[in-house]
Amino acid sequence: MIQVQLLTKRYGPHTAVDGLTFTAPPGAVTGFLGPNGAGKSTTMRMIVGLERPTSGTATVNGVRYADLSAPLRSVGTMLDARSVHPGRTAFRHLMAMARTHGIPRSRVEEVVGLTGLESVAGRRAGTFSLGMGQRLGIAGALLGDPGTLILDEPVNGLDPDGVLWVRHLVKGLAAEGRTVLLSSHLVHELALCADRVVVIGRGRLLAEAALGDPALGAGSLEDAYLRLTAGSVEYRAGAVDGGTR
Amino acid sequence: MTSSPVTFPRVLASEADKITSVRTPWWTVLGCVAVAAGTAFGLGLFARPGGGATGASLVVAGYVLAQLGFLVLGVTVGSEEFRTELADVTFVAVPRRLPVLAAQAVVTTVSALATAALALVASIAATAAQRDALGLPLSLADAETVRMLVGFVLYQTAIALVGLGLGALLRRPAGALVTAVTGVVVLDQFLAMNPGRFTDTVRAFLPGTGTRLLTGDDRLAALDAASSGPHPGSWAAGLLVSGWATILLVAAAARLRRGDFA
Amino acid sequence: MSARGPGATLPRVVAAEWTKLTSLRSTWWAALASVVVSGALTYLSADAASGDPGYDPLGELTAGLLLTQLGPLVLGVLAGTGEYSTGGFRTTFVAVPRRWPVLAAQAVAVAGFALLVAVASVVAAVLAILPAASSRDLPVNLTEGSTPWTLAGMVVFLTGAAVFGLAVGALVRRVVPALVTVIGLTLVLPVVLTLAVESSGTTFVEGVTPQERAVNTITTLLPSGAGGLLVTSSDASTVPGTPDLGAVGGGLVLAAWALVPLVAAGVRLRLKDVK
Repeated sequence: MIQVQLLTKRYGPHTAVDGLTFTAPPGAVTGFLGPNGAGKSTTMRMIVGLERPTSGTATVNGVRYADLSAPLRSVGTMLDARSVHPGRTAFRHLMAMARTHGIPRSRVEEVVGLTGLESVAGRRAGTFSLGMGQRLGIAGALLGDPGTLILDEPVNGLDPDGVLWVRHLVKGLAAEGRTVLLSSHLVHELALCADRVVVIGRGRLLAEAALGDPALGAGSLEDAYLRLTAGSVEYRAGAVDGGTR
Repeated sequence: MTSSPVTFPRVLASEADKITSVRTPWWTVLGCVAVAAGTAFGLGLFARPGGGATGASLVVAGYVLAQLGFLVLGVTVGSEEFRTELADVTFVAVPRRLPVLAAQAVVTTVSALATAALALVASIAATAAQRDALGLPLSLADAETVRMLVGFVLYQTAIALVGLGLGALLRRPAGALVTAVTGVVVLDQFLAMNPGRFTDTVRAFLPGTGTRLLTGDDRLAALDAASSGPHPGSWAAGLLVSGWATILLVAAAARLRRGDFA
Repeated sequence: MSARGPGATLPRVVAAEWTKLTSLRSTWWAALASVVVSGALTYLSADAASGDPGYDPLGELTAGLLLTQLGPLVLGVLAGTGEYSTGGFRTTFVAVPRRWPVLAAQAVAVAGFALLVAVASVVAAVLAILPAASSRDLPVNLTEGSTPWTLAGMVVFLTGAAVFGLAVGALVRRVVPALVTVIGLTLVLPVVLTLAVESSGTTFVEGVTPQERAVNTITTLLPSGAGGLLVTSSDASTVPGTPDLGAVGGGLVLAAWALVPLVAAGVRLRLKDVK
């Protein structure tokens, strides 16, 4: 379970995340939605301790991420498919991660198989397409067989097969009782794999509800999303210059 | 939950795995050894009887150019994580952060020591014929010789750690490398062109002072006679460059502990 | 296609490269470093030298040049490698498929920007010698004797350093190796060569030995040595045993240092895939 309470992050005068509170419960896929610049990535980075909150707390199973003794065993994280050294092979990349936790080589081979990377595991990551990079990122997240997964835009750049695979993967992980927090711009995709959604705009909570909850209003998830975020889109095509910032 | 926590030996194993699994460090090691031996050989061609050279001074002569390679070694280990955004993955696995920097310091120390030792052996081999021809022996029973040979290895290792500190502090390879070369080589050169009490004093406290560890006694005496600044002893000069490495690593640790990875 | 005229003409590519160059933060850092270092070091040198009996304020103009060149060098290297280290080249070479005009345009843009930086750095150096000169009531006349040539030489030297950096950066394509090459050639190798002269131990004895002649010739032919000729007034004594190239010769050697790797980078661009 991920609990975020009154989480706030300011960069100088700019407030990226503003008093955000929500919960991602176990046994469910929680979709994390919001326009570009809404603060989704910043929130996820604060949950895993890469950025320090200005105020508020984020915990995983009641513990601050930085206080976990074996973080990869509790939380699997994929933030950015570019977080690899381009000169290192996919296998050695995962091996270096695994060594920090004494995770055996056999488990590395296992996640390479799970993510369909067997044929390219010996190739340098710099030669990977975006889709292969995403698979490598997901492999890293699964490495410690964690009870909680935090995935930022995992279907970005994946082919239709890959999108379907991620959909089944996250539903399967939630069905095993794990907590899954998954952000995406693809509202249609989230409507297919999420059990509940957290919608934010300009760093604030706009809605937190199960799919089909009347609080989201009538119509599709996309209708609800567009209605909720209408007042908080920072970058919209064709918008007149000189808007919010 | 399985009990397999993050421990320092594990972080160290991970960092050792990282440095050996990309090509750049191997090329850097090769470059350091080749440049040190090549320069020592090249400079040996100019040595003549009565020119003030000793066996040890011929062997360590490649340090000027080779120290660039040692700086690169440290700067790369310190800044590569941030350049490639691998830092996200690394610090999600080790959220306490500082063990990573400590492990990088150990990895850098070990690889720099090994590289410098290799470079020394290669330089001894490269200058063997020249030393014979000049009648300059390399006796390990001679304290000055031992001090200079050991000094070569220790100085280059300290310089690699200076590079690591700057790389981890500035997080950009180009900025860190330029700062390092300026601080270690160029500033010293500039100040040497403007001798005086003030500039000589500043020079004595720059990391490049560590080269006194691998400078012969006669040459040191000549340098001191020409300088109106302080004259640290060889080992004190070695401590001074280690001090620089320590200060930079502590500053990098402070930034790492408090900061965000944006 | 033809209705709107040719798409990527050279002036347009230059304009695009100029925009890219000036939108990089590192460009401005390097420019600022160049100007500040030039002013500060020249001031310190002039201040220290002003107590000497035969003090000539104009003699200190080039005192900070050795370190000042680091700014333009780094600026050039980062401009030359930037495309490859960020992957921006994919966009660039899709827009300009013939590729080599991009390199030529980069050279023009970097040279133009570096010229401005060089002028600003030289102005900073001139301003920096004024306080020390006025403290001794010595006039500073920039239009007399060889001074105009020295000032022009400084500008050419600093601009040339940036183009040299660009050329090596574009050829090597990776920041760290390119920086090591450039810094090694301009700043560290000369130090090594002075050691060579010292170890021959004959500087004050029988005149110029063949070894010394060789070392001094190499030193002169290195980028910083050639650049040094640009700012040395012709009446100054030359280093013993070096070919007397003069300012023009020095400029040509510096130009060769910039052009040879630039052409090599152009050939590499044509022959090889961009990966």
